Amino acid sequence: MVAGDIVLTGLMAVLLVGVAALLTRVENWRSYTPLAGGGAVTGDETAVINREKPAGIIRWLTTVDHKDIGLLYGVYAVIAFAVGGIMAMLIRLQLVTPAGAILGNNAYNSILTSHGITMLFLFGTPIIAAFANYFIPLLIGADDMAFPRINAIAFWILPPAALLIWAGFFLAPVTENMIEPARTAWTMYTPLSVEQQNPGVDLMLLGLHLSGIGATMGAINFIATIFTERDGEVNWANLDIFSWTILTQSALILFAFPLLGSAIVMLLLDRNLSTTFFAVEGGGPLLWQHLFWFFGHPEVYILVLPPMGLVSLILPKFSGRKLFGFKFVVYSTLAIGVLSFGVWAHHMFSTGMDPRLRASFMAVSLAIAIPSAVKTFNWITTMWNGRLRLTTPMLFCIGFVSNFIIGGVTGVFLASIPVDMILHDTYYVVGHFHYIVMGAIGFAAFAGIYYWFPVFTGRMYQRTLGKAHFWFSMVGTNITFFAMLALGYLGMPRRYATYQFDGAIAPLTQVATFHQLATVGALILFIGQLFFVWNIVQSWLEGPKVEDGDPWNLEDDGMLDREFQWFEEQLEADSPEKDPSLLADGGQEEQDDS
Amino acid sequence: MAEEPGLSDQYPTASPWPLFVALGLALSEIGVFVGLFPVAVFGLILFGGSIAGILTESGYVERPWPTLLGVGVVLIVIAAAFALWQVPVTDIALSNVGTGPLFTRLVAVAAAGAVMIAMGGVASVMEQTAA
Ligand code: HEM
Ligand SMILES: [Cu+2]
Repeated sequence: MVAGDIVLTGLMAVLLVGVAALLTRVENWRSYTPLAGGGAVTGDETAVINREKPAGIIRWLTTVDHKDIGLLYGVYAVIAFAVGGIMAMLIRLQLVTPAGAILGNNAYNSILTSHGITMLFLFGTPIIAAFANYFIPLLIGADDMAFPRINAIAFWILPPAALLIWAGFFLAPVTENMIEPARTAWTMYTPLSVEQQNPGVDLMLLGLHLSGIGATMGAINFIATIFTERDGEVNWANLDIFSWTILTQSALILFAFPLLGSAIVMLLLDRNLSTTFFAVEGGGPLLWQHLFWFFGHPEVYILVLPPMGLVSLILPKFSGRKLFGFKFVVYSTLAIGVLSFGVWAHHMFSTGMDPRLRASFMAVSLAIAIPSAVKTFNWITTMWNGRLRLTTPMLFCIGFVSNFIIGGVTGVFLASIPVDMILHDTYYVVGHFHYIVMGAIGFAAFAGIYYWFPVFTGRMYQRTLGKAHFWFSMVGTNITFFAMLALGYLGMPRRYATYQFDGAIAPLTQVATFHQLATVGALILFIGQLFFVWNIVQSWLEGPKVEDGDPWNLEDDGMLDREFQWFEEQLEADSPEKDPSLLADGGQEEQDDS
Repeated sequence: MAEEPGLSDQYPTASPWPLFVALGLALSEIGVFVGLFPVAVFGLILFGGSIAGILTESGYVERPWPTLLGVGVVLIVIAAAFALWQVPVTDIALSNVGTGPLFTRLVAVAAAGAVMIAMGGVASVMEQTAA
C-alpha cells in the first residue's frame, strides 16, 4: 500500500512537472501584463500576430475554434462508434448458439454494459455535439461559440471519461482481475450496482459523471450562443430547424444531466463511504430507478431531437420543397421537450408502483406520441409531390423516417401498461430502442456527415460507396432489429448470455433461428460500416476537390443556407492569389515550422 | 525572461488551458472518489492552477496567483466544513490519516488547498518585490 502510494506520488509529480514545463514552453504567463516585471512593451509583439493557429499536433490540442472542436468531436464519436460496434458484434456472435459461442457470462455482461454506455454517451451525445459545434455558429452567422474556451474544456473532458468507462478492460489483466469492467448494465440498478465490490464500477461511474459535466457545459454554451450570438438578420422567426432542436436539446441536458451527476455521486458515496441513499433502510432501491429514469427518458430525446432536426433540415433540400409546416415542427419539438420529463415511470411499470400513478404515466406517454407523429407526417408531406433526388444523404433521411416509424410505433405499444407487462425486459424492448438509436439516430448522423462532407473536408465522397453504405445499413438494421422484435414476442428475455432455458419460457428452436437471423443482419450492417470508413478516409485524403460553393445545387430552389454561403466565401478566399490573411481555416503555412 | 507573448496572445483561436482544466478535473475526481491520496492532491493542484491560468488568459483577472490562492482557500474551507459536519472531533488528528475513509480524503483536499495557497502566496510576493 505504502509502496503503491509512493509510486503514485512520483508519477503524479512527474506529470505535474511535465505539464508545467509544457505550459512554460507554449505559454508565457508573465506576458499578459506588459507592465509587470520589466515592461518590454515594444517591438517583438507585432511580428507574430497575423497567423491564426499553431501548427501540427499543438493546433489540435490547443484549439478553441468551433470548427476544429467540431471535427475533434466527430473523430471521437466515430472511434467510439467503432468500439461500441465491435462490442455489438461480439454480443451477436455469442448468441448464434443457445449455449453461447464465444464469451463467458462475466465477459458477456461486461461487454453488454460497455456497449450500451459507449453508444449512448460516447457516440450519441458527441456526434450531435460535432454537428452542432461546426454548424450552429455558421447557420446563425456567429463568429464562434459564446464561450470558446469552455467549449474546448467540454470536449477535453471526454477522452478521460472514455478511458475511465473502459478502464476495467485495460486494468483487469494487469491487476489480476482486482479491477474488472463494470457489469451493471447501462441502467446501473441498485442494489446490484452498490453490491458489486469491483472498483471498475467506480471508475465507470466517474467516467459517466465526467461525460455529464462535459455535456452540461456544452449545453450552456449552445444556449448562450443561440440567444446572444446570432447575426442581425437571424431572428426567432427565421432561425433554422437544426438550431431549434439543439436549443431544445440543450435545455433538456441542462435539467437532466446534473440530476444524473448527483445520482451518480450518491451511488459512489453508497459504494465507498457507506451512506444509505439507496439502501433499504435509507431511500430504498427504487429511488435509484426514479432518479435514473427521470434523467434517462429525457436522455432519449436529448439523443433523438437533434437528429430529427438534421433530417428536417436536409430532407427538404432533396425534395425541392420547403419543410412542410415548419412552425409545427418547431412546436412539436418544444412539446416533446416539455412532455419528456413527465413520462419516466413508463420504464418502471412492472415495479409494483401505485396503479393510479401508473395510469397517469401511461396517458402522458401516449400523448408524447402525438408531436412525434406530427413530425413524421410533416416529413412525408414534404416529400409528397416533391422533386426527389436520391443522393446518399437523402437516402439516409428516408431510411430515418422509415425506421423511426417502426421504432416509434413499437414504443407506443410499450407505453400501454398491459402490453408492457408482457413485453418488459424482453428483446422486444431491445428491438424497439435499436430501431431508434441505430435506425434513426445513426442514420441521421450519416445523413449529416454526407450532406456536409464537402464543407468540412473541401472534397466530395464517393457516391457508389455511399449508396452501398446506405443499402447495407438499411437492410442490416431491419433484419437485426425486426428479428429482435419477434424474439420479444416469443418471450426471449433480454440481457442473457445464453438461452438454454426451459422450453416453457420460450419455444427454443424458433428463438435460436431468430437469434441467428439477428446475427446475420448485424454482419450485413457491419459490412456496410466498412464501406463507410473506407469512403470517408479515402475521400478525405484524395477525393476530388469541391470547386463550387453549392455542390447540391440548392441555389436554384432558393434553399442555400448560410453554412454553404460561408463555404463559398471560403473557397473564394482560399484561391491562392488572394490575400493570404484570409486563410481562416488552414493552420500555419507549411514552410515556417516552429 | 524575455517578454515574448504566450501562445494565446499570438493566436486568437488557441489556448493551452482547456486541456489541462479537463485533465485536472478528471484526476481530482478519480483521486477524491477512489481515495488515491496523491492523485487527489496533484489533480486538484492541476485543476486549480489551470483555472487560474485560463481566467488570466481570457482577461477575467489580471494575475493568476491570487486566483490560485483563492481556490486553495475554498478547498480548505470545504474540507474543514465536511470534517466538522461528518467526522467526530476526537478523530480529527494527523495520526488518523489513512484510517477513516472520509477523513483521509478531506485531508487530501486540504493538502492540495494548502499547496495552492503557498504557491499563490509566494508567487504574488515574488512578483511584487521584482516589480
Ligand atoms: C451497430 C449495430 C448495433 C447492434 C448489432 C447492436 C446490438 C445490441 C445487442 C445484441 C444488445 C444486447 C441486448 C441484450 O441482451 O439485452 C444491445 C444493447 C444495447 N444497445 Fe445496441 N446495437 C447496435 C447499435 C447501437 C447504437 C447505435 C446504440 C446507441 C446510440 C445502441 C445502444 C444500446 C443500448 C443502450 C443497449 C442496452 C444495454 C444495456 O441494457 O445495458 N446500440 N445492442
Ligand atoms: Cu422512456
